[in-house]
Amino acid sequence: MIAAPRFRLSADDRRNLRTALPFIAPWIVGFFAFTLYPIVYSLYLSFTHYSGFGDATPAGFENYQHMVSDSLFWQSLGNTLYYTALAVPVGVVVAIVLALMMNQNVREVAIYRAAFYVPSILPLFALTFIFIVLLNPGFGLVDYVLGLVGLPAVNWLGDALWTKISIVLLAQLGAGGPALIFLASLRAVPAELYEAARLEGAGPLRRFYKITLPLITPVILFDLIYGTILGVQIFTPAYVLAGGTSGGGAYTTGPENSLLFYVFYLYKSAFQYSDMGYAAALAWVLFVISVVLSFAILRWSRQWVHYEGA
Amino acid sequence: MTLLPGRGITASLIAFLVVGAACSTGGGTSGAPLPGCNSGTKQALFWTSHTPPDTDSEKHIVDAFNKQSTTTCVKMVAVPGSETDIAKLTTAVRGGTGPDVYELDRFTVAERAAAGVLEDLTPFGAPALASNYLDFAWKEALFKGKPYALPDDTDARVLYYNKDMLTAAGVDVSQLDISKGAPTVDMIRTMATKLNKKVNGKYTVVGFDPRLNQGWHYTWGFAYGGSFFDAASCKVTPDDPKIVQAFKTMFWDWAGQLGVNDLQTFESTYAPDTPPLPTEQDAFLTGHLGFVVSGDWVLGWLSKYAPNLHYGITYIPVPKQGDTPATWAGGWSVVIPKGAKNSQGGWEFMKYFAGEQGQRVYTQETQHMPTWKSLLTDTSLFPGDHKLFVQQLAVAHSRPALPVGALYWDQLTIAQSSSEHHSKDPAAALKDVATTVNAKLQPFCPIAT
Repeated sequence: MIAAPRFRLSADDRRNLRTALPFIAPWIVGFFAFTLYPIVYSLYLSFTHYSGFGDATPAGFENYQHMVSDSLFWQSLGNTLYYTALAVPVGVVVAIVLALMMNQNVREVAIYRAAFYVPSILPLFALTFIFIVLLNPGFGLVDYVLGLVGLPAVNWLGDALWTKISIVLLAQLGAGGPALIFLASLRAVPAELYEAARLEGAGPLRRFYKITLPLITPVILFDLIYGTILGVQIFTPAYVLAGGTSGGGAYTTGPENSLLFYVFYLYKSAFQYSDMGYAAALAWVLFVISVVLSFAILRWSRQWVHYEGA
Repeated sequence: MTLLPGRGITASLIAFLVVGAACSTGGGTSGAPLPGCNSGTKQALFWTSHTPPDTDSEKHIVDAFNKQSTTTCVKMVAVPGSETDIAKLTTAVRGGTGPDVYELDRFTVAERAAAGVLEDLTPFGAPALASNYLDFAWKEALFKGKPYALPDDTDARVLYYNKDMLTAAGVDVSQLDISKGAPTVDMIRTMATKLNKKVNGKYTVVGFDPRLNQGWHYTWGFAYGGSFFDAASCKVTPDDPKIVQAFKTMFWDWAGQLGVNDLQTFESTYAPDTPPLPTEQDAFLTGHLGFVVSGDWVLGWLSKYAPNLHYGITYIPVPKQGDTPATWAGGWSVVIPKGAKNSQGGWEFMKYFAGEQGQRVYTQETQHMPTWKSLLTDTSLFPGDHKLFVQQLAVAHSRPALPVGALYWDQLTIAQSSSEHHSKDPAAALKDVATTVNAKLQPFCPIAT
């Protein structure tokens, strides 16, 4: 057996390291102070009863045990998974379609690219308010258009059946970001493959399914995982749509609690119910759920992701 | 090329300074006096989550205080927040940049005191002021027998009705005269049904939407004689049969009769919450509602935005003829958050703001009611119909001041929603509320107020 070579720094390496460390020290300090410490601290808090003030009292696994019997925990988890299961695949399809449109060989393509991308950089808070007006069942544009084609009006934000679907639609306004990544991957597909397929008589649909789609599957995988991680953290649209308040607004979490997403419940636990310990436990469970979902998608991807040269 | 280590250290020091400067709060409550303040005064920061026109009046009170104070200069800042969402306050207090005075919904004082967000006002001498305040308002400011807030206003809820709309529909509005006592729920339902109007399948006029405006779970629970908390057992009692009946009649039956989705469409059009319509477009003021349960602040709206509207006021409907009418009173308070840098200055301001001088201005300008007892006998403060609200205060209920008040409210709202949508029987929904809230309440028991 050959022993692995020992890792040794030369005198030059050590000098360079000493020089480099002060330069990256602000990041290192920031990472420890603002990322690592809060993560570790939240794990500690999750085993305590803590209001955010005074002393935290040890609670063992009480916060985690409470989740099992907490109907709001299950409802918020169900709402979140429902939303994620719907929003992520729809988001991938919309982003690919946008990317295909951005990839057309027409003179105005730069304008189209900008137009498709702009909504994704607008503040979500502002977009949500615009959406509220568009979806208004009394004077909103969406129901008006539905009416023009003979479809019944939908109570998008007042009917529990439609509230989450409304947010799925809203999320598609942010598809411009992933679409740019898909665009880059589309442009990386070798042109000779298309030429060869054309010579063999393959039509546009066949070329898409047999060449384009397989070659962009790594990006689809990335988008699925990224979208899932963001999807389970959905918060802002629900907070804005539901008013996010108590005591004054109509529904604190949408009709029939339909907009009580996981992070919304976490937020309410921390800042409205002063239960930071429980909120920290919720955060850690969400982290575990995100990891499990990500690994599940990764494992599933072995069946359909095509790595060029693999 | 290799940089000398000394240069690297200098560069990193500069970077630290830049980052440090960026991270510094720039907070603090002292500094040069603001315009309108006397020299030598120390600044106190006052945060309010109210919006105009209430904040206009609050600014007048702050200006008047600053003019006469030789010790404190108050800077008022409007911050995001709501009745129960105090994320801005809690994070600021934890970060050491909180205000010296904060305006807090009074029914959450016990909850925030229990969480440790508020200073006990006993060392400032608050107990000596107790006798000046309405008893229920003062009790809401207590937690475990100690004062954590000074109550600065209150209100009461009644039934407003549009005389012209009812008369046009053939209703004899004299039946609703307040001198005849409280109308029954059935009477109002019969009258309101005559006003309902749909155009293209959508309501343009709804006689009475019992859940709109102040048509809350508490409102109807009290109207049906229900009790929301049992002090002896230290348990919330939303499953009180009277509250269950209120939910059944006012939310399950009424919303079912009107069609909850149709009702929601009406509300989204004429009375949306997010974003709310300007006050002048309020559904009652613009003739889209025949009846509405609301508070005394609507009097100010009526005189300002709909001076020609012929309205009447009566008691909130009761279940049966002859039942004692009920209403509830809420209101706000001022508190000193933990870590206040100028708590003494803050206290001086609180005494003024929630005292006779401050509440006099606020009552005159906003049509809210004072909690300062002696002001309630000054009839000049309550012109016209406002005096009817003052009479209501004597018998008004108040929400239980619990360390889980926000959670209780949210849970009741969820039960209300599921009753309106017929997704859960009111009795079962309210039982769930009891289970959830009591589990969180028990660690605080017994509760001495």
